[in-house]
Amino acid sequence: MSVRLHDIWRCFQGVVPAIIATADRHGTPNVTYLSQVHLVDERHVALSRQFFNKTSRNLDENPVASVEVIDPVTLQAYRLRLKFLRSEKSGALFDTMKLRIDAIASHTGMAGIFRLIAADVFEVVSADFVDGFLAEPPRDEPAGASLDGKRTEIRGLQWVSERINRATDLESLLSSVLAALDEYFGFAHSVVLLHDETRQLLTAIASRGYGPSGIGAEVPLGDGLIGTVAREQRLLRLTSLEADLRYGRAVRRESAGGPALLQAEIPLPGLRDAQSVLAIPLTVGSRLVGVIAAEDRDPMRFSEWDEAYLAVIANQIALGLDRMIERCDENADPPPPTTVAVAAPPPPPLAAKRAARRVTYYTSDDAIFVDDEYLIRNIPARILWKVLGESQRTGRTEFSNREMRLDPSLGLPAVKDNLESRLILLRHRLQEKCPDLQIVPTGRGRFALRAEAPLELVER
Amino acid sequence: MTDARVQRCLQPGVSILVGTVDPGGVPSCCRAIAIASDDGLETLTVYVPVATSQEAIRNIALTKRLAVAASHPVDHCSTQMKGTTIDTRLARDEEAERVRRGLDAFADVLDAIGVPRRLTRGVAHWPAFAITMRVEEMYDQTPGPQAGTRIR
Repeated sequence: MSVRLHDIWRCFQGVVPAIIATADRHGTPNVTYLSQVHLVDERHVALSRQFFNKTSRNLDENPVASVEVIDPVTLQAYRLRLKFLRSEKSGALFDTMKLRIDAIASHTGMAGIFRLIAADVFEVVSADFVDGFLAEPPRDEPAGASLDGKRTEIRGLQWVSERINRATDLESLLSSVLAALDEYFGFAHSVVLLHDETRQLLTAIASRGYGPSGIGAEVPLGDGLIGTVAREQRLLRLTSLEADLRYGRAVRRESAGGPALLQAEIPLPGLRDAQSVLAIPLTVGSRLVGVIAAEDRDPMRFSEWDEAYLAVIANQIALGLDRMIERCDENADPPPPTTVAVAAPPPPPLAAKRAARRVTYYTSDDAIFVDDEYLIRNIPARILWKVLGESQRTGRTEFSNREMRLDPSLGLPAVKDNLESRLILLRHRLQEKCPDLQIVPTGRGRFALRAEAPLELVER
Repeated sequence: MTDARVQRCLQPGVSILVGTVDPGGVPSCCRAIAIASDDGLETLTVYVPVATSQEAIRNIALTKRLAVAASHPVDHCSTQMKGTTIDTRLARDEEAERVRRGLDAFADVLDAIGVPRRLTRGVAHWPAFAITMRVEEMYDQTPGPQAGTRIR
C-alpha cells in the first residue's frame, strides 16, 4: 500500500532512527542507521553525509537504496525505494541540514569535527506501508489542525502583537510575550537572550518555566544550540534532541584524538531532560537582536507549523525589542538629582536589624560577589559598584540612566548600549541572589537603590 | 575494537538490521528481532518476522548475500557482519522464547530512552524465519570517522 510522504511527516522528525540498505557493484549489501531522513518534497528526500563511509561509496557505484522509516507515535514502519540523484554542498537545503548538525556538534564539543559534508538528494521511487509490521493496526488521530486550533493561533498572534505594542518598557515586553506564548501555545519553558554586539555573546534576559535561575546566563555566538542559531541567524527545530545528542556523543567518543582534544560539552540552558527545542533568531533586517528558545519534554512538541508560525511571531518580537531598546537609548532623562530623590522612599528601618552583607568587587575578574557568592560581572557589575559607592559616599539612593551613559568608566558602547537590558539583568540577579539589595525603577530613565541590610563594600 | 565489544552485538537489547540484495543489485532492508551465535560468530542466526521479511527471504533465495548490523540504541556501539546465507527456515517452536526475549529486551532498552514499552511490544515478531549466515567479514560501524573499519 503506497503512502504520501507528507502523510507520514512524523517519520522524518528523526525521533526513531531510520535504516538504509545499499549494495556495492558486486552485489554485497550494506545496512546501517541514519540519523535523519530529511523530507524535501513529495518526491524527494535528502540524507546527511557526515563521513565518507560505505553507504556513500556504494551509492557512487550503485545509486539505489532502500530506507525504512518509523512513525514515532505509532511505531508503524514504511519503506522507501530511493534513487540517488546528487550531492549538494551548498544552497538552502544544505544550509538547513548543516545547521542542525552544527548545533549538535557545537553542543557536544565537536565543532568542526562532526560536520555535514553533503546533503545527498534522492528521488523517492516508491513509499509503502509495511504490512504486518505491528501485530495490531496502528491507531492514529486525524492529522492537521482543527478550525478551533487555527482560531486560537490567530488569536494568539493578535494577543502577542497587542502585548508588544502595549509594553511600556523592555521588562514588561519580555514577560508578557513569554506569558502569551505559554498561554496560547503551551510553550511552558522559554527564554529570551539578547545579543551583546560588543562581547559577541548572548545573555539570557527573561525566562518562563525555569524559575529565577538562568537569567544572566551567557552563550557565546556559535556555541551550542542557541549560539549556533544566533551565529547562523537561522531557525532550529530539534524534535529528537536526546537521540541526536546520543548520536553526537557516539561520534565524539569514536573521534580520532580522543575527547581530551575536544571541547567540553555545553550544558543545556534549561530542562535537563528536554526532548525537543525550537530556537528562533530575533533579527531586524540582517542585524541580530537576540534569540528566543522554547524547550519541551515531548519530542514531537514542535511541528513544522510551530516553526513557520513562531517565525512570524519572532519577527514581531524582534521589532518590538529593537524599538524598545532604541526608545531606552534615546530616552532624554532628566539631569541627575543632586539630592535624595523625593520619589524614592527612604530605606526601610529594617536595614539596621538585618545581618550585614559583604559586597566584593573583584577588579581583575570584573565581577561582584555577595557574601562570597557570585552575583554578576561586566557592565552590570560596574553599574552596581558605581551606585553602591556613590550611595555610600553621598547618601544618594536615586540615579538616572543618563549619568550611567555619561560615565566612561562603565564601558557602555556609544550606540546600542542595551543599558535597559543590563539593568533588568542586574535587577533579576539581585532578586535571586541578594533580595536585601534592590534596584527599583522609579520612572522613565531613573532607578533607585534600596538596601534593607547594612552593606560592607570591599574592592580587591 | 575488542572482542568484548564485538560480543556486545549478541547481548540482549541490541537493535538488529538486515540488508539483502536482489540479482539486479537492488538492496532491501528489514529489522530482525533476535540474534544468536554459538560458535564465536563464525556463523550467526537472525530471526526476522515472517510478516515483514518476504522481500529479504526472496532476495536471499536468489543471491544468498546478507548483511547484519547490530547496534546498541543507547550508545550506538555497532558492528556489521557480512557473509553468505547457509540456511533459511521457519523458526521452530522451541525458538519462540528466544525471539520473545529478544523483543522484550529491546523494548526495555527503548523504554529507557523514551519509546514506551507497550509500543515496541506491539511489533510483530512471530512466526519468524531463522536465517543463518557464515560470517565472512566484520566491521566496526559505530558512528564516527572509524566507522567501516574492518575488524575481521
